[in-house]
Amino acid sequence: MAEASGGRFGPVFWGAAFGLAIMALAGLRIYGIIGQATGFFILLACSAMIVPMIRSANRLSRERGCASPALIRYNKGMGSASIAYIFGLGVAVWLFDKHAEPTTWTYLLALAPVLPIFGMIWVMGRYIVEETDEYLRHRAVMAAMIGLGGVLAIGSAWGFLESFRLAPHVPGWASVPVWAISMGIGQLWLRGRER
Amino acid sequence: MRNRLKVLRAERGWSQQDLAERLEVSRQSVNAIETGKYDPSLPLAFRIADVFGMRIEEIFLKGE
Repeated sequence: MAEASGGRFGPVFWGAAFGLAIMALAGLRIYGIIGQATGFFILLACSAMIVPMIRSANRLSRERGCASPALIRYNKGMGSASIAYIFGLGVAVWLFDKHAEPTTWTYLLALAPVLPIFGMIWVMGRYIVEETDEYLRHRAVMAAMIGLGGVLAIGSAWGFLESFRLAPHVPGWASVPVWAISMGIGQLWLRGRER
Repeated sequence: MRNRLKVLRAERGWSQQDLAERLEVSRQSVNAIETGKYDPSLPLAFRIADVFGMRIEEIFLKGE
């Protein structure tokens, strides 16, 4: 039987392409090769890769026989929230004036990327409640626990290194990407165990 | 927990997908249970027993 791949380019391909594009974009911004506005529009263009990533993930789930309605809704919800997060983050960074006095507008700007994060947490919770396949639910909970373990381990280790002036300061919002990456690694590991 | 799922399935000529459809679960669930990587809940164990027309203890055995 042919190995399920999710189509010509699978979700891993799109995820890796998206990650590399974001790293390249960060490099261009750090070294001042591109401006904030250009960076924002490139970021938005990169976020378009989330659409084929979600579609191929759903296709792969169907090929592997685990495409429950709850999982399809979860993938779509996470994809939408991720695009909204990137858009909110881009707008907030673009429009934030570091030298201006904080106003209500500044609060709204700071919270723009937060609402999609709340959305991601809600989508995840809804999936765990709605998933009727107990093994898929168990796998999602385990992956979330691995993600949480990653955040706690890396966060506390980094925090102590920072306290002892051995590492630079990292803002608290970095916990979300660390959680997402740890959870992704957890999912890959759990799927690898099934073979 | 050990189980006889693979043997019972083979006796009936069912693929993992066939059994998954009968149980209304994913093929991954059947694979994980069959290979001992996941122990099913009691309600699912009863459903498995019903599908094979056997008692739970005839399918699931004590020990690793």
